[in-house]
Amino acid sequence: MTKISITGSKKHLDRVIDELHELKLMDIDQYEGEFDTGQPSEEAEELSELLVDIRSVLSKLPETDSEEQTTTIESVQEQLPKIKEEIGNLDAEVEQVQRELDGINEKKKFFKKLKGSGITAEDLQSSEKLDLFVGRLDIEKLKEEVKTDRFDIFEGTSATAVIYSKDHANQIETAIRNNSKKQFTVPGTELTGTCESIYNNLEQRKQELESRKKSIEQDRQELAEEWNPKLYYIENFLTQKIEKAEAPINFATTERAFMAWGWIPEREFEILEEKLALVSEGKIHVQKEEVGEDEEPPVKHENNRAVQPFESLTDLVSVPRYNELDPSVVLLLTFPLFFGFMIGDAGYGLTTLAVFYAGAKMFPKGKEIFHSLMYASVSTIIFGLAFGDAFGYVIFGHHSELAAATGIQLFEQIPILWHRAEHLGQVFTISALIGLVHVNLGYGIGFYNEYIKHGLKEAFLEKGSWYVLQAGAALAFLVNPTAGLPVMILGVLLIFLGEGVEGMVEIPSLLANILSYLRIFGVSVAAVALAAVVNSIAQTAYGAGGLFGLVFGTAILVFGHVFNTFIKIMEGFLQGIRLHYVEMFGKFFEGGGKKYAPFGAKEP
Amino acid sequence: MAIGSFPAISAALAIAVSAIATAYAQAKIGSAGIGALAEDDSLFGSVLILTAIPETIVIFGLVVSLVVAGFI
Repeated sequence: MTKISITGSKKHLDRVIDELHELKLMDIDQYEGEFDTGQPSEEAEELSELLVDIRSVLSKLPETDSEEQTTTIESVQEQLPKIKEEIGNLDAEVEQVQRELDGINEKKKFFKKLKGSGITAEDLQSSEKLDLFVGRLDIEKLKEEVKTDRFDIFEGTSATAVIYSKDHANQIETAIRNNSKKQFTVPGTELTGTCESIYNNLEQRKQELESRKKSIEQDRQELAEEWNPKLYYIENFLTQKIEKAEAPINFATTERAFMAWGWIPEREFEILEEKLALVSEGKIHVQKEEVGEDEEPPVKHENNRAVQPFESLTDLVSVPRYNELDPSVVLLLTFPLFFGFMIGDAGYGLTTLAVFYAGAKMFPKGKEIFHSLMYASVSTIIFGLAFGDAFGYVIFGHHSELAAATGIQLFEQIPILWHRAEHLGQVFTISALIGLVHVNLGYGIGFYNEYIKHGLKEAFLEKGSWYVLQAGAALAFLVNPTAGLPVMILGVLLIFLGEGVEGMVEIPSLLANILSYLRIFGVSVAAVALAAVVNSIAQTAYGAGGLFGLVFGTAILVFGHVFNTFIKIMEGFLQGIRLHYVEMFGKFFEGGGKKYAPFGAKEP
Repeated sequence: MAIGSFPAISAALAIAVSAIATAYAQAKIGSAGIGALAEDDSLFGSVLILTAIPETIVIFGLVVSLVVAGFI
């Protein structure tokens, strides 16, 4: 990155901004100093208001997949109030229809309960002499308890109505209270007739309303089809325009001149200089500036294509500082290995690959992450073949079911490393070794970063000292304690010199970090066991025989392995990535860089 | 491998208690983390790391239970 300044007459300001926007090269710095900063051009405010309006309309219209369509700001400005009104009307109508529908649903529920009781809507209105109860009750017991016959019972499908004379209200109400489980309130309705006919009427009205609702949505869709393309076009246009109009806020200005500072990638300098000279007839001065000590250039990842998908995984933690090693390379090297080793199953390798491929197609925004995960799937397939596992079945080697089933001897010839499921003890040791190597790789990168920034001595004290400590520990355990102890003490001293008390506190965490890699073993065991469980359940179903056993067993296999695929993606991804983020990055990664966001580029 | 009932129970306790401890810690960190994310979603990476830290406890539990069970 090079820091540059652009100086020129205000006459050329607009053209320079247009050109910078077009080039998408310069990350403009905010000017802070004694000169005035520029004003956004006058139209900016008006345009911003229009943009807010357009966005609010767009948010209320359904999505369409039509192309953008050119139009003029004026015509949109003119039509916008009309569109807003139309949307408002549609909204109001939908709300009204919905409210009526809610009411109808309530009423329908009530009258459905009283179906078959023969009671009519008129009976359900309480009068001067008669009172009414609707609910669930025990009719036999009620009849026993009540000593008068001044009441009538109407029994519906799931509720009972009792109409009784107010003269005997006391007695009857007590009996109802004693024997009822639930009471329903009678909804008001202008409909008349028996419960059946009211129910049917309501049903009919409901269907009318629903078709009305559909036609409103249809109208809305049509409105969207007509206007979305134009509105999106104007929205894009305005966004750019406002971005340009507001750019001078970051510039230093005098009455007649302006000056802007910013960063561009070093090799693009000449292109920028040339283009700016072209638009201003050579009347713009561009020069490289010296970088102040407290300034940090913005960071742009620079990796070859294989590493690029892993950049977003790095940025998820933090954008690297300008002068530190980009850990994306490390992620490319070890993340797929961890994922593959943990899942280690050719079958799941294929299914996860399919899932990630679909994910990349469906969510273009997360494309990078899905691509990096596809590396992990490929590694899973390779490890699966090495372990001879597919969906928890052993496919290669002398245990081979495939060779026996197909009769193809070739399957027996492919060498197997080891059957992981039968040698989990080895996985345990390997996991710890992986941890040792990985953590030390982290210290190695830390050493390099320190060496670049502060020189060899600092690097040795801060990172190399950890190697000394580990060498001491290895000596103490493998050779004898008296040989190891002095080296360990030396290591601790060096850590104290390099990192101070903080370093001392971190010493126990070295062991914790390495042991943390035993999760690789844990996930491996779970991966093997989960697949085996699904297979054994399915085996039981197949064992039952018959068509039912066949169908049921297959269903279990399909459902179980789909379920497992997702569990494994989650486990493999989370555990794999956290080993990098927490255990390894902690050894060297500072982060906190500012991402290079050139003016005019769509995504900042 | 056959082990006595006390080692078996101890091994189970080691993993179970440490798993509960991890869950408790992660629940607290997780809910605080989601709160932080609601304010500023660029913190995702840091929140993920903070949430992952207590997982080491259960790994230790796993190691202890494997040692008690005589696996290593």
